[in-house]
Amino acid sequence: MQCAESLRVQAYFDGELDALSAAEVERHSEVCAECRALLQDLDHVRTALRQDLTYASAPPELRARVMRALDEESTVGSPRRVGERLTSWRPRPFWKGAFTGIGGTAIAAGIAFFVLAPSFINPVLDDLVSAHVRSLMPDHLIDVVSTDKHTVKPWFAGHTDVSPVVADFDQQGYRLIGGRADYFDHQRAAVVVYQHGPHVINVFSWAADRSGLPKNTTRNGYHLAFWKTGNLVYCAVSDTAWDELLGLVRLLQDLGARDAR
Amino acid sequence: MKGAIRSMDDRRHRFEAQVLPHLDAAYRFARWLSRSPSDADDVVQEAILRAFRGFDALRGSDVRAWLLTIVKNCHLTAVKQQQRRAVVPLPEENDPQDAQAMTATTPDPESTSIRRDEERTLARLMSALPEEQREVLVLREIEEMDYREIAAVTNVPIGTVMSRLARARAALKARWSLESGGATHAVR
Repeated sequence: MQCAESLRVQAYFDGELDALSAAEVERHSEVCAECRALLQDLDHVRTALRQDLTYASAPPELRARVMRALDEESTVGSPRRVGERLTSWRPRPFWKGAFTGIGGTAIAAGIAFFVLAPSFINPVLDDLVSAHVRSLMPDHLIDVVSTDKHTVKPWFAGHTDVSPVVADFDQQGYRLIGGRADYFDHQRAAVVVYQHGPHVINVFSWAADRSGLPKNTTRNGYHLAFWKTGNLVYCAVSDTAWDELLGLVRLLQDLGARDAR
Repeated sequence: MKGAIRSMDDRRHRFEAQVLPHLDAAYRFARWLSRSPSDADDVVQEAILRAFRGFDALRGSDVRAWLLTIVKNCHLTAVKQQQRRAVVPLPEENDPQDAQAMTATTPDPESTSIRRDEERTLARLMSALPEEQREVLVLREIEEMDYREIAAVTNVPIGTVMSRLARARAALKARWSLESGGATHAVR
């Protein structure tokens, strides 16, 4: 048999009663053992539930996925109706990706003046440029800081799906400064980061699929050079001059060919 | 053109500032509702997109309650779609014994590890509660919402919130006592 006051006792426990009613419940539970026990039980359940940290926060992958979905949604001029197909013809401004992190606002003003030319090519190019721009924001560039390929290369084994060629070409002017894992084109890519003078060069690598190797191209002032070694596709992205970027590409290609032998 | 871009960015920034702080709450709610990690992810993504599309209609009310209402609706839509696809009928959720059986047969590796893990007894007991009870309990105890907000999210009168909450708490307590051989202190 349940005390008729039990719902009011629960409301008292939840802080939903005004002072007058609360005082009544307090007087009642002094004389009602059942309601005293109820208050104790309510407290036990609450304590247990609030101590339990299951599913405490959204996993980072979900957060990244939500951001990507918002990027796609934001590029469409008028709000898309629920269930409508994603438009694929509309170019995705490269700077959308840059807004996904803290600090995006700071560079928004500068980038808003870029002319957004339509593009009918591989969306992967946009992803790569976004990832490059994102990496240039504070604290995004490098996950493992090292100029030693024996530190950077094993780190990838635990953090990405691929194991790219890594080497320090300091003597040739391309200093290895670290590595990073990045999400891109629905897979975890390995990114090796080099410094060339004042410029940062991100070398992305991911497992090759059936689609063809994109041609070298320039997007929004960033050069993208592609090549393939074994079953990995590489892309070097930077705002250096073409010659300088291709210098690193040749070094990496040679190294990859040596490794393969 | 530039003006249009500017206002789109404004909208996105306002959305990120006002709504995304509640992403964790949305995830927790979806996770407790759907009981499957991949379903929860889909529900959250869809909810965020719907929220973004409807963002302009939001007028200074409780953002978190608004977002969780959308999560709840997305979850209901997802369940309906799954039921339409389902070949094998699922056990009736309100039957406590069947609910127990349901957790046991979920092909979700996580629930297997939950069963093995004594620390997570609570999560298992929670997921065995009927959904209408589980949701009010999560909103009250984990999201710390008041009755009015819970009523808004679940779309039922406050009186119903109160009775569901009471049943949920009693059921959880009873199952817990059963598992731990009636020892009250085990709840802690």
